[in-house]
Amino acid sequence: MQQFKTLKDLPEQDYFTGGSSACAGCGPSMGLKLALKVLGPETIIVNASGCMTLLPLYPNTPLKASWIHNAIENASSTAAGARHGLDMLGNKDMNVVVYAGDGATYDIGLASLSAVAAKNERIIYICYNNQSFGNTGFQWSTATPYGSETKTTPRGKNNPTGTTAVNKDMVKIMGAHRVYAATASLAYPVDFLNKLSRAKERDGFSYIELLGACTAGWNYDPRLTIRISKLAVRCGMWPMYEIENGILTLNKDFSELKPIDEFLKLQGRYRALPQDGVDRLQVLINEHWAELKEYNGQRYV
Amino acid sequence: MKQTLVTGNEAAAWGARLVRPNYIPTFPITPQTECIETLARWSADGELPGTYFDRMESEHSVMSAAVGAAAVGARVFTASSSQGLLLMHEVLYIAAGMRLPIVMATISRGLSAPVTLWSDHNDFLDQRDSGWLMFHAENNQEVLDMMLQAYRIAEDPRVLLPAMVNMDGYVLSFTDEPITIPSPEMVEEFLPEYNPDHTIAKGRPVTVGPPVLDEYTIFRAQNHVAARNALEVMEEVMDDFDRIFDRRYHLVDEFMLDDAELVLVTQGSMSTTAKAAIMEMREEEGIKVGLLRLRVIRPWPAKAIAEALKGAKAVAVIDRNLAPGRGGIMFPEIVETLYHLDRRPLVSSFVVGLGGNPQTEHKVKEITRKLIDDLETGRPRVEWNDL
Ligand SMILES: Cc1ncc(C[n+]2csc(CCOP(=O)(O)OP(=O)(O)O)c2C)c(N)n1
Ligand code: SF4
Ligand SMILES: [Mg+2]
Repeated sequence: MQQFKTLKDLPEQDYFTGGSSACAGCGPSMGLKLALKVLGPETIIVNASGCMTLLPLYPNTPLKASWIHNAIENASSTAAGARHGLDMLGNKDMNVVVYAGDGATYDIGLASLSAVAAKNERIIYICYNNQSFGNTGFQWSTATPYGSETKTTPRGKNNPTGTTAVNKDMVKIMGAHRVYAATASLAYPVDFLNKLSRAKERDGFSYIELLGACTAGWNYDPRLTIRISKLAVRCGMWPMYEIENGILTLNKDFSELKPIDEFLKLQGRYRALPQDGVDRLQVLINEHWAELKEYNGQRYV
Repeated sequence: MKQTLVTGNEAAAWGARLVRPNYIPTFPITPQTECIETLARWSADGELPGTYFDRMESEHSVMSAAVGAAAVGARVFTASSSQGLLLMHEVLYIAAGMRLPIVMATISRGLSAPVTLWSDHNDFLDQRDSGWLMFHAENNQEVLDMMLQAYRIAEDPRVLLPAMVNMDGYVLSFTDEPITIPSPEMVEEFLPEYNPDHTIAKGRPVTVGPPVLDEYTIFRAQNHVAARNALEVMEEVMDDFDRIFDRRYHLVDEFMLDDAELVLVTQGSMSTTAKAAIMEMREEEGIKVGLLRLRVIRPWPAKAIAEALKGAKAVAVIDRNLAPGRGGIMFPEIVETLYHLDRRPLVSSFVVGLGGNPQTEHKVKEITRKLIDDLETGRPRVEWNDL
């Protein structure tokens, strides 16, 4: 298994070159660029409709790997078909990797993902989570955190909170499928690539959820993508952990979380969140963090 | 080659087995279930070497997985009915747009609400603008034969489009009929291995399904041209089928049309009943009536249809389907096809057999008599036969 210790170990070779139409500073694009370093050119990226769908635009593509965009809710099933097609045709060593947004994963594609995971198909599923339906202009998904404003959960006189629902615990749900499930952050590329490398070796389904900081939707200065990705981890908004065979391992432990305000204040989507909303979000984060600490090293799901 | 009694579902399963598919994604729905259960059993018994039999969580996923497998060059089979076929609808267009020659058996069943398990053709015909080639069988032998032909036509480099082979639920799907099952060697001669060069393979990265800008119209036009090409390819394939299997098919099925003044236009299994009624009417009453069965729905074999109907005085289009607010679905297609004839027949529309309402010989004779009346009054009619 390929193992990376420091940033210097990352492969120089790039299979995601210039010429994409994504926003400057787009987190999900960076994620795919990093992932392809480990996956290599004999990979089929199965994409669900979303921001990344516009990476290739006929007749050009920035990618030096194969790509299937089918529709929004069926990347998992498409990948399963590709996997079995390849296997039956004797191409067992090509990688089949889903790269799908949170809306395609948590919401409209959940049934197909759950089934393919339950069957433990030999697929790597990367969910790039920008906490919204990004491509359609930043609307609420079940991955949107409490207190975030979106176009379909705007703040108003009757609802100063914006998003009042609490986001789904997707990693736990996937962990309960008895597959490999992990979180990742662009601020920790070595960790991300090691997780991918591990997923590549597994004879079964792996789910990696990458926080995909989104300059346009989260409304922040494009230079801050990595800083925000790091703060998300340090503030407990995006804990780094993995679940294998139901056992939880916290990958980045901190004696104390930074206050969530440090993460929020850099982003326009939280700008007008009232203090009681911030307090409630802090409570939710603390509860989740406490749960992870409690189960660290133990059976979690 | 062996003669045996099989249901329509089993005939489709035999078709699938003989074409040696790499992948069969499935989801159960009445009346199609027996087809995939048969394949599951064969797979479990090791009788489908080289095939992976898969079970999905929905028909939407079935068609999505079919697309994934076909995109890497696999030969794919699946089957569906009714609500399941409608759930696939989104992905059907995608499969056609990607030029993936997936073949699917569809076993027609009426659509909800209210619920019916019995057959009519709305589920099948709902897909007629999806870009798929669409064939409709009359009996179980034709189900199997059409399956073999569908793969040959769909995989032809001039076509590269997915294809549906339809049969009527219950009437065919659950009815034993004697059919000839060809030997694997004969099928291998007829249908060679599928070796596409437009799909993903090792050392050949491909981008499948990207967005386009102005070229959209070009891609759509290519789909249209490919579907039109299929008409010519079909004639070649049917010749070759006849050569190897000694069974002759045509773009349309013409029955006693040579001297026919009245023609019934039908689809699917009701055609057999109608043919029996026609023979009786000719023998007992001397009525010059014949039948044209539509067996290729897409691409639309306009020339063959116009040619077959050009001598008719009156035509009854018998639709086992309904477009509410419009009427029978095939009626306007036939009228349009005949519009440019020098001498146009009178064309009447009959909507019949919804939700499996049985089409008896008696009803066929009734329609024929109405057609004689229409000829006398000179006015065509639009009518529901079962109300
Ligand atoms: C069936 C269907 N419904 C709606 C859409 C419109 N749509 C395209 S992309 C998208 C957002 C997807 O969100 P997500 O999966 O989070 O990806 P992101 O856009 O954030 O990258 C939506 C709703 C669609 N393509 N298909
Ligand atoms: S909207 Fe967000 S996710 Fe989409 S391309 Fe822009 S930065 Fe990337
Ligand atoms: Mg998103």
